[in-house]
Amino acid sequence: MSGSAAIVHDRSLEEYGFGEDHPFNPLRIRLTLELCDALGLLAGYRFLRPEPVSEEELTSVHTLTYVRMVQQAGSGTVDPAELLDYGLGTPDNPVFPGMHEACSRVVGGTVLACRLVASGEAEHAMCISGGLHHALRSKASGFCVYNDAAVAIALLKREHPGIRIAYVDTDAHHGDGVQWMFYEDPEVLTVSMHESGRYLFPGTGGVDEKGRGEGVGYSVNVPLEPFTDDDSWIECFEAVVPQVLRAFGPDLIVSQNGCDGHALDPLTHLCATTRLYEHIPRRMHELAHELCGGRWVALGGGGYDHWRVVPRAWSALWAAVSHQELPAHLPEGWLLEHAADSPVELPRLMRDDPADYPPVPRIKEIEAANRRAAEAALETVLHLIRR
Amino acid sequence: MLLVEDSMTREVVTVSPETRADEALALCRERRIRHLPVLEDGRLVGVVSDRDLRSATPALGDPARAAALRRLRVGEIMSREVITVRPDEPVEVAANRMREKGIGCLPVVEDGRLVGIITTSDVMETLVYLVGANEPGSRLEVLMPDRPGSLAGVAGIFGELGINIVSVATGPRQKFPDGDTPGRVAVFRVDTIDPSRAIEILRRAGYVVIWPPQAAR
Repeated sequence: MSGSAAIVHDRSLEEYGFGEDHPFNPLRIRLTLELCDALGLLAGYRFLRPEPVSEEELTSVHTLTYVRMVQQAGSGTVDPAELLDYGLGTPDNPVFPGMHEACSRVVGGTVLACRLVASGEAEHAMCISGGLHHALRSKASGFCVYNDAAVAIALLKREHPGIRIAYVDTDAHHGDGVQWMFYEDPEVLTVSMHESGRYLFPGTGGVDEKGRGEGVGYSVNVPLEPFTDDDSWIECFEAVVPQVLRAFGPDLIVSQNGCDGHALDPLTHLCATTRLYEHIPRRMHELAHELCGGRWVALGGGGYDHWRVVPRAWSALWAAVSHQELPAHLPEGWLLEHAADSPVELPRLMRDDPADYPPVPRIKEIEAANRRAAEAALETVLHLIRR
Repeated sequence: MLLVEDSMTREVVTVSPETRADEALALCRERRIRHLPVLEDGRLVGVVSDRDLRSATPALGDPARAAALRRLRVGEIMSREVITVRPDEPVEVAANRMREKGIGCLPVVEDGRLVGIITTSDVMETLVYLVGANEPGSRLEVLMPDRPGSLAGVAGIFGELGINIVSVATGPRQKFPDGDTPGRVAVFRVDTIDPSRAIEILRRAGYVVIWPPQAAR
């Protein structure tokens, strides 16, 4: 469990935001990094600063027409009605000045993290501004303009022909954008665990979505019931993720670590706690060492309880990436600094107290349904995956 | 998209009354289909399904089965009273006809000529598109008063917020929780990851948002 860890970040990455009242707010990133710093987890590390990706790099997965539309969106020269066709200028994805530059830089962050790990300069890397998994080829969707993970994966494939990449997405929402972009590609395994699309955006991510053509078997989906708790989620994760990753044999793992499945998250209906968000990165770390020499890139994603959940969940992520112990308490300094601004009472412990999260009603039925989903997922893909 | 001609398969695999049963069965297997219209001199004279073919002969495993399948002609077992649909009829008419008659497909006939075939799978696919399940969106179930203007009221709230409606389907009547007010459930798919504001406003306006449920805590 040794080796170097890298953290990719720059203040300019915090320009990706849609305004004060919007749930996708760069405050999440600021609070997380300040917490990591206050916890002493950044001692000896410096932020590696990304460059924006080029237009040519973006078009590895996006259409040029769409990129042009994003470029022009901020300048006010495009008919707003036309923007809507590209998912821009909606309440989810409002246009903001310098949108293309900010979004290209976010993609640059994920690309840099992936290149550092692929080249061996770092064993693991984290970039929490990445993980914008809903962006589609020609459409902004669900707070995501450019699909950073998909661009990074496409570029790695170009720079390292034959490389096999596993993308594991544990955001509460289905990782639809990344899945569709590699739906026919047997060199990219996408695994998504999420609240069932029957109830939650984007609506996709059923077990039957298993890839197409050459890529059949290389898209894995485990839809979870609303109100799923830590135990059931972890059970399904353990049942599916290690098995499909071992069957696939990746050269590098990219994980999307959205933490919006937490019980306090305002956008979803899942009931996880910090226990899940400590478990997943620890296991991704172990699997990366078991299967691909530790090559692991961890990205952020969703997470809309900015004050109580995201900073703690992603500090735990960084602790796993950088082989450090996660302290038990939030530092007094961080609490004092933010208590006045936070609209909610800030937690004092890094780990949720199970006593604060009473058992979910009907949990037996939820567990049983999730177990069936996990079994069905394995049955759907396992016999199709080749190393 | 909502007419039979938009959902039907145009390249129809057909047989003649003289086709041997084993050949017809092989066709079903190869083309992964279950229904074969039977044509005689270009005229539709019957329909035969893989099930008709199988059940007309000794069971699988019976040594006499292969020979029986070779002897048997489609004309001897096909249904002659064919229920059809026209290409310009609405797809729900086709769905209802199949449901009422308990059948899985309808040959599509125009001016006495076979122009296509529509099956239950085609209708299901249309349903998926109808409810917008192929596009990103959040699914909301709203109980609204069964009165003129209710739907417009809900739609207006989405409109005010700038949220596009991907699809809407209204369901059967259902009473409000007070047990009195007549209501109707509508299922919306809306193009947003964050319907929380809309839900809040809908509730304040007196609509019952059945799904998503209110937070457990």
